[in-house]
Amino acid sequence: MVDLDASTLSTTDLNRRIKELAGNGVDEIRVLNPQARHNIAVGILAPCKITIEGSVGYYAASLMDGPEVTIRGNAGWALGENLMSGKIVLTRDAGASVASSIRGGEVFVSGNAGARAGISMKGGSLIIRGNAGFLTGFMMQKGKIIICGDVGEAVGDSMYEGAIYVAGKIGSLGSDAKITEVTEDELISVWETLERYGIIESVRGGQGRERVERHKDRYAFTKIVSAKRLYHFDSLERLEKRVI
Amino acid sequence: MVMGNSQIWAPWIIDDIHAKAELGRYRIRGFSSFQKVTHFDDLVFLSTGLTRFPLEGYRESCNTRTVIGSRFAKEPLVLETPIYITGMSYGALSRNAKVALARAATKVGTATCTGDGGMLPDEREAAQKLIYQVLPSRYGFNPHHLMRADAAEIVVGQGAKPGTGGLLMGIKVLDHIAQMRDLPVGIDQRSPTRHPDWLGPDDLGIKIEQLREATDWRVPISVKLGACRVADDVKLAAKAGADAIVIDSMLAGTGASAEVLLDHSGIPTVPAIVLAREALRELGLYGKVSLIASGGIRSGADAAKALALGADAVAIGIAALIALNCNKEIPGADFEKEVGVKAGYCHHCQTGRCPVGITTQDPELEKRLDPEEGAERVANFINSMTMEMALLTRSLGKGDVHSLEPEDLAALTIEASAMARVPLAGTKKVFGM
Repeated sequence: MVDLDASTLSTTDLNRRIKELAGNGVDEIRVLNPQARHNIAVGILAPCKITIEGSVGYYAASLMDGPEVTIRGNAGWALGENLMSGKIVLTRDAGASVASSIRGGEVFVSGNAGARAGISMKGGSLIIRGNAGFLTGFMMQKGKIIICGDVGEAVGDSMYEGAIYVAGKIGSLGSDAKITEVTEDELISVWETLERYGIIESVRGGQGRERVERHKDRYAFTKIVSAKRLYHFDSLERLEKRVI
Repeated sequence: MVMGNSQIWAPWIIDDIHAKAELGRYRIRGFSSFQKVTHFDDLVFLSTGLTRFPLEGYRESCNTRTVIGSRFAKEPLVLETPIYITGMSYGALSRNAKVALARAATKVGTATCTGDGGMLPDEREAAQKLIYQVLPSRYGFNPHHLMRADAAEIVVGQGAKPGTGGLLMGIKVLDHIAQMRDLPVGIDQRSPTRHPDWLGPDDLGIKIEQLREATDWRVPISVKLGACRVADDVKLAAKAGADAIVIDSMLAGTGASAEVLLDHSGIPTVPAIVLAREALRELGLYGKVSLIASGGIRSGADAAKALALGADAVAIGIAALIALNCNKEIPGADFEKEVGVKAGYCHHCQTGRCPVGITTQDPELEKRLDPEEGAERVANFINSMTMEMALLTRSLGKGDVHSLEPEDLAALTIEASAMARVPLAGTKKVFGM
């Protein structure tokens, strides 16, 4: 493991050092004294483990492909933005737009998340142990969001595909979002994800329906998807009708 | 007086009401605004006489080399001409069109730009200099592609639809386009207009820093604005740390936009450049932050006038497509059958039925555009524009297109005088000052 003391480095030098170490095959990098600075661990495209010991500002661990990042603290806006693959674990609260536009990988928030969590997601998973703010899943295209607490107003507004699972209260559904039934397989998949993070105790034992019946009241989720009413304009121009 | 002469109830207004009465929604079309507005034709150059002497117009050298984004970037864009090709998406345009534009840009030593659909590998390969757009939709956005870009452009707004995101009708969202954008096949794609990860100008500053960190401060970062509240927007973008600012006017083109936005939002290119120039000057950043103008640039004369008003470079879209054969009868095409109008009257890019293979995803239509022949035509056109600029510049006694200045211009109308802040021809008066 290599330690980098952020208090002695500019953000640019810090990112350069992380890229250099990751590119040279160093398995574990620890960033000390991040001082809630913006843009820490940006653009890391090599697999490695990065632990940030403290809170971070905007865009922490963003534009990444491959690393596993643990942040011991809070994060500002756009944590993990445009993640391609890899994993991010945040031990406390996330600001707005966590996991925005991610295309793969997994982002886990141990506390609450602000507004627009999972906005514009194009794949991957976002798991929030606490509550999430308004416009969560706005224009989500693919992927999965799991919220163990409550979610704010306009959840899933204008989403295309993907699914949002909410255990707590729903402030309101956004435009073109609807509630649909959770299948047994989906519920078990959600539970297994939560088990991995120690959010729920083991729901093992039993198979399929039996297992679901045993735990469903305790670990119930509401599933939100697109109603697909905004997929198409409902009319064409005269000329378009003729030529299309 | 007869009905057809009414200014208020003109035949096309009546037709518009009939169309909306059938449609039940706003109308969508391609091309650009059809409003009559002040433009570069309302300005003329004051070439040399006895007060100053010209350079030999056909012989002496005239510098057209243009550097964009040297404020903070370690590797600014160095172009052989102040004309580059603006962002137009793979999706709105065919693969052949994107590749032709990229090859043309390379032939003349300039840049092209990706657009709202991600980076097409063939385009990256063909373009020596490629600008990678960072749009609110983030369709296909990939940090690996960002690292391969020669510049990044954060799109805040487009002149053809300021305050609104892009449109791509379902007929063009075929499997390959849907896959690249992570969208369901065949949907009428209405892109977001707000960025997912930042909202205000302070956030934009952090976003710019993020892109710089990702690219190790190597490439220029520009901000593209739809020309509306130009002075304030330019100041905010410059303060946020942009290397370059693109002002896209209401005359800018599009593959699909709500007609109401095309014709009723934004301001023309001439006042947009002047307002941007003055805003940068107020901050002491004129000449430090590169200023790029786009919207309705059709010739070397337009480009030269844009530079004289204060732009460092211009970006062309529709003009490049016309050079590719847009609105031209070619063997195999039948405009009236395929898009319902004669060549020269087509603005139906949104239908995906482009008879010349440019704004289509139909493989049969796309075959009508040969990328190499198309590249040759666009390269010839940009070379022609560049030569026109140089000719005008020498006639003004200058050896560098970047030495053009407002003092070289006169206005032909009071409106142009007020918008360009140059004297009305035949007077010493600058109107509106």
